[in-house]
Amino acid sequence: MSSSVQTLVNRPYKYGFVTDIESDTIPKGLNEDVVRLISAKKNEPQFMVDFRLRAYRQWLTMDSPTWPTVTYPPINYQDIVYYSAPKPKEKLKSLDQVDPTLLETFEKLGIPLTEQKRLTNVAVDAIFDSVSVATTFKEKLAEQGIIFCSISEALHHHPQLIEQYLGRVVPIADNYFAALNSAVFSDGSFVYIPKNTHCPMELSTYFRINNGESGQFERTLIVAESGSFVSYLEGCTAPMYDSNQLHAAVVELVALDNAEIKYATVQNWYAGDANGKGGIYNFVTKRGLCQGANSKISWTQVETGSAITWKYPSCVLVGDHSVGEFYSVALTNHYQQADTGTKMIHVGKNTRSTIISKGISVGHSNNSYRGLVKIGPKADGARNYSQCDSMLIGDNAGANTFPYIQVQNQTGKVEHEASTSKIGEDQLFYFQQRGISLEDAASMMISGFCRDVFNKLPMEFAVEADRLLSLKLEGSVG
Amino acid sequence: MMSSPVKSQLDGVTMPLDHPPTATDNLQRLLNNRPPVTRCPWLGELRQRGLALASEQTIPTARDEEWRFTDLSALLNTQFEAVQEPLVSPNPSELTTDYLANTIRLVFVDGHYASHLSDVSGLPNQLIVTSFSQLTPDQYPLLQNYLGKQTGNEEVFTALNMACLVDGALIWLPPNAIVPCPIHLLFISSAFASPLAAYPRCLLVAQSGSQVTLVEEYKSLGAGVQFTNGVTEIWMDDQSMVTHVRVQRQNNQAIHIGKTAVSQGQNTTYQSVSVGLGGVLGRHNVEVVQVGEQSQTLLYGLNVSGEQQVIDTHTSITFTRPHGTSQQLQKAIAGDRSHTIFNGKLVVPKAAQLTDASQLNRTLLVSPKARVDTKPQLEIVADNVKCTHGATVSQLDGEEIFYLQSRGLPIPYARQLLVDAFTTEIISHIPLPQLGASLNQAIRQRVNHPM
Amino acid sequence: MTIIDESDVILSVKDLTAEVDGIPILKGLNLEIKRGEIHAIMGPNGSGKSTFSKVLAGHPAYGVTGGTITFLGEDLLALEPQERAISGLFLAFQYPLEIPGVSNLDFLRVAYNSRLKAQGKPELDALDFDDLVRGKLDIVKMDPSFLTRSVNEGFSGGEKKRNEILQMALLEPKLAILDETDSGLDIDALKIVANGVNQLTTPDKAVLMITHYQRLLDYIIPDYVHVMESGRILTTGGKELALELESRGYDWIRDNELVGVAE
Repeated sequence: MSSSVQTLVNRPYKYGFVTDIESDTIPKGLNEDVVRLISAKKNEPQFMVDFRLRAYRQWLTMDSPTWPTVTYPPINYQDIVYYSAPKPKEKLKSLDQVDPTLLETFEKLGIPLTEQKRLTNVAVDAIFDSVSVATTFKEKLAEQGIIFCSISEALHHHPQLIEQYLGRVVPIADNYFAALNSAVFSDGSFVYIPKNTHCPMELSTYFRINNGESGQFERTLIVAESGSFVSYLEGCTAPMYDSNQLHAAVVELVALDNAEIKYATVQNWYAGDANGKGGIYNFVTKRGLCQGANSKISWTQVETGSAITWKYPSCVLVGDHSVGEFYSVALTNHYQQADTGTKMIHVGKNTRSTIISKGISVGHSNNSYRGLVKIGPKADGARNYSQCDSMLIGDNAGANTFPYIQVQNQTGKVEHEASTSKIGEDQLFYFQQRGISLEDAASMMISGFCRDVFNKLPMEFAVEADRLLSLKLEGSVG
Repeated sequence: MMSSPVKSQLDGVTMPLDHPPTATDNLQRLLNNRPPVTRCPWLGELRQRGLALASEQTIPTARDEEWRFTDLSALLNTQFEAVQEPLVSPNPSELTTDYLANTIRLVFVDGHYASHLSDVSGLPNQLIVTSFSQLTPDQYPLLQNYLGKQTGNEEVFTALNMACLVDGALIWLPPNAIVPCPIHLLFISSAFASPLAAYPRCLLVAQSGSQVTLVEEYKSLGAGVQFTNGVTEIWMDDQSMVTHVRVQRQNNQAIHIGKTAVSQGQNTTYQSVSVGLGGVLGRHNVEVVQVGEQSQTLLYGLNVSGEQQVIDTHTSITFTRPHGTSQQLQKAIAGDRSHTIFNGKLVVPKAAQLTDASQLNRTLLVSPKARVDTKPQLEIVADNVKCTHGATVSQLDGEEIFYLQSRGLPIPYARQLLVDAFTTEIISHIPLPQLGASLNQAIRQRVNHPM
Repeated sequence: MTIIDESDVILSVKDLTAEVDGIPILKGLNLEIKRGEIHAIMGPNGSGKSTFSKVLAGHPAYGVTGGTITFLGEDLLALEPQERAISGLFLAFQYPLEIPGVSNLDFLRVAYNSRLKAQGKPELDALDFDDLVRGKLDIVKMDPSFLTRSVNEGFSGGEKKRNEILQMALLEPKLAILDETDSGLDIDALKIVANGVNQLTTPDKAVLMITHYQRLLDYIIPDYVHVMESGRILTTGGKELALELESRGYDWIRDNELVGVAE
């Protein structure tokens, strides 16, 4: 045995099935009429139509970013379906009226939605292609004044909140994909936690792309009023298609004084096959605004899917003493490409941020950490600690680290550490000599490598994340 | 847009400007004004190559990743004249400093060799330490395989230097030559009536088993604006060792853009200590390529900036063969409204298994308006490697100052002590104690002045 | 897996040859170890002692080019490293590896359970295992805090070696190979380690010590001492051979050998 590390034989992607359902799908292509049509289908208020059109016109003037270390052929934006929704049989009165095919789909994905089977401590908003099909525990949460619903619904019932906050953290002109999303987003989740309210359960959105030709452009907005707390988790899967689908989401978080938002993502979009064919282009803008004093936003992500990932969940720390955190595990395999990291923008005094990033590159994949820590001139006493570790498995994988550090205040303090390691043959042999198989050995070492991040996930998802990584790696060593 | 009128200007006629300068204009203006090569006609071909490479480009802007944080507007807004012949003949007493007493010395003024200031007496046999202009025709071929042959010539300022080359320093070490004393290269830029541009060049070829300490120093005569665009090429054959001290202390109006390109053969050790103090803009690019196995690269760097200086170091170490090692410690102190920049790249391709590379970047901000942009960067495609990097940015530690105060030291003295401790880690690697002392003094002046 | 029980022979090595990177290291090695025996292989640096231990354990960098190894009646060379471990062969490493991020306790539990699983026995849950392992700590005088630290990470030389013996105590091997276990140990640590090994040695098991110095043999008394040179065993004797080597050096053996050849 010359080398213990060999090419990966992946377990089949178990979420790769397609649901056969009748859809309301608009023709491919994008122009102002399509933007208006999406808005009209959702019967949106005028401010929303204007918002979308402004974004669309802005988008036309922009270019897609070229700086990430990812390569892909140019995307034909006229070849994408911008709206696809399962046809409702009739107007829904309750969850029990949701199309059984859809309920079945989500059950198969491990997200049961019906009253009898649903997860007891997690409220779920289930999004299928362009629309939200069901939200559990909505009424129960409403008793405490918590709003958890699809963003389309929020536009009808809470338009003032949407108008106040939408585009506030991620302006429409922020970047190419954010502009596109602002023009065409179809659905997503809206969360509002009132003052001094501790959200009693995990909130979760599950995104499912079903249509092979549609893009998914969801929009999530979470507003945490003073003194409130919410923990939110999103999950995502898609069927296996030979073609690539575009997913360009925008997530905006706002935390007011003393509020805390924990946002976790377990991203398992279809990553393409072993030869790099197919898979999702995951071009996402996620940003949290710590607007209030002592507010806190933490991003935790476990990224294992997508053909290409381009995302930098960020924190803008405006409130004095506010805290931003980013914990990330990104695993790439086969021909996957990931360019991911975070931005911590320190504006207020005594703001603190922590970045822990673990990248694992396997096969022919390329995994880049790209981060920015910026301490502005007024951010007296700001602190950042960053740790970016990479692990390489096999000698065709790439790991890059691009940490930008910009400090404009002498009282700021930034510490950054990065290392690259490997699963070495001698370490594997040590495990084997104690009777432990190669796969168990690799899986233990990877869990150990990622432990700092898994510790930050809600318990049940930490287990899920660990399992996800082990599955992904099955057969990659040995 | 500019191509046709510009082409017609290349024979030396400067057209008056009828519109504000742009990046293209200014590079072309520098190229149009390039000094004629009189003493080394054999450089013509190389200059043509440089001209061709540079003519396709413009002066970089913030949109170029390599220049993202480095403001080149000072270069755009000034019209520089090239130095056809050395205009000044400095008095040796103005230049010689005690730390140079026992060195072999080549002095260049505005890129031209100044023989009356140089001293190559006591050179061991077989060793060539001279200027290009002093070479005999039978020696030209020596340079053919080396001069302008490092990778990266297409980089705009490397190409500009090549296009404008008039002279340079040559250090040629035969196999196993061990040079007993440091070789000192002093590049003087003069700044008097009008802003001048100079294009110094150095070529060091260390054949197998040879060892040398090279001190490369950039200084100013006069306090005005000047542009110095230097390139140093270092070729290291198997088993050779080069210790390279580079000191850039031009005046605070100077624009200095310099490059050191190093190619390391098998089992070589390249150690560099680079100190950047001068210039309104002082930029140093270091590009080391380990082309042989088991090579070692040690980079120590210190930039100290005050006033409104921008001091910028970009380094890259590329490993191409197994068992390479590198250690890098890059420090910076920024005071006043100055801006310090570092970009450190480690590139480990698949062939470079068993690389062991570490990099540490530490920045001290000593004034409320100072700023830093730093990016330690790893690009790795080999799995059996050990690479680490770290970066810290902070001010002087209040606790430490308090501790020293409590032992009776006044605050300025306490700060002085801590700054000294910070810089000593770099300066102590300079093998010439007197040069180290002289730098320490310069650094103290700079750091103390605003406090 | 069948264990042929009628024989007392645990390990039988015949005409073993092996190489590293194409360079022959073992050049016809013969050795037989029976139940209850303690063997020591001594020899100068470069004689192939450590190579022999790695070959027995199945390290991928060492290639066997000839000969046979029978372990408990089975062809050892046909087994993967973890199968060798599970069938009862244990190597205490000269340089135990550091495994950042993996806790010592998890490592020990997975190792222990891998063996149970292979034997078709139910695995121990975390709590039961915790009790089991705490009971073994005293054998090597180890503090329970070592269990929660990453495997060998930041351990001193002595702590690493004690950790090796703790693993041996848990895995109860039929043949324990101690590769230079005494290197880097002060006398107190050496006594703890030796004492641990002695406690674990029972009449149905065997120990093979590989060592450069006689020192360890003061505490773990061997039945047989083999002297290795240039990839072969040159001579075999009782424990007194080790003392002889200590006082007269390895050259003495070489001279004997030359004389022997001349005769």
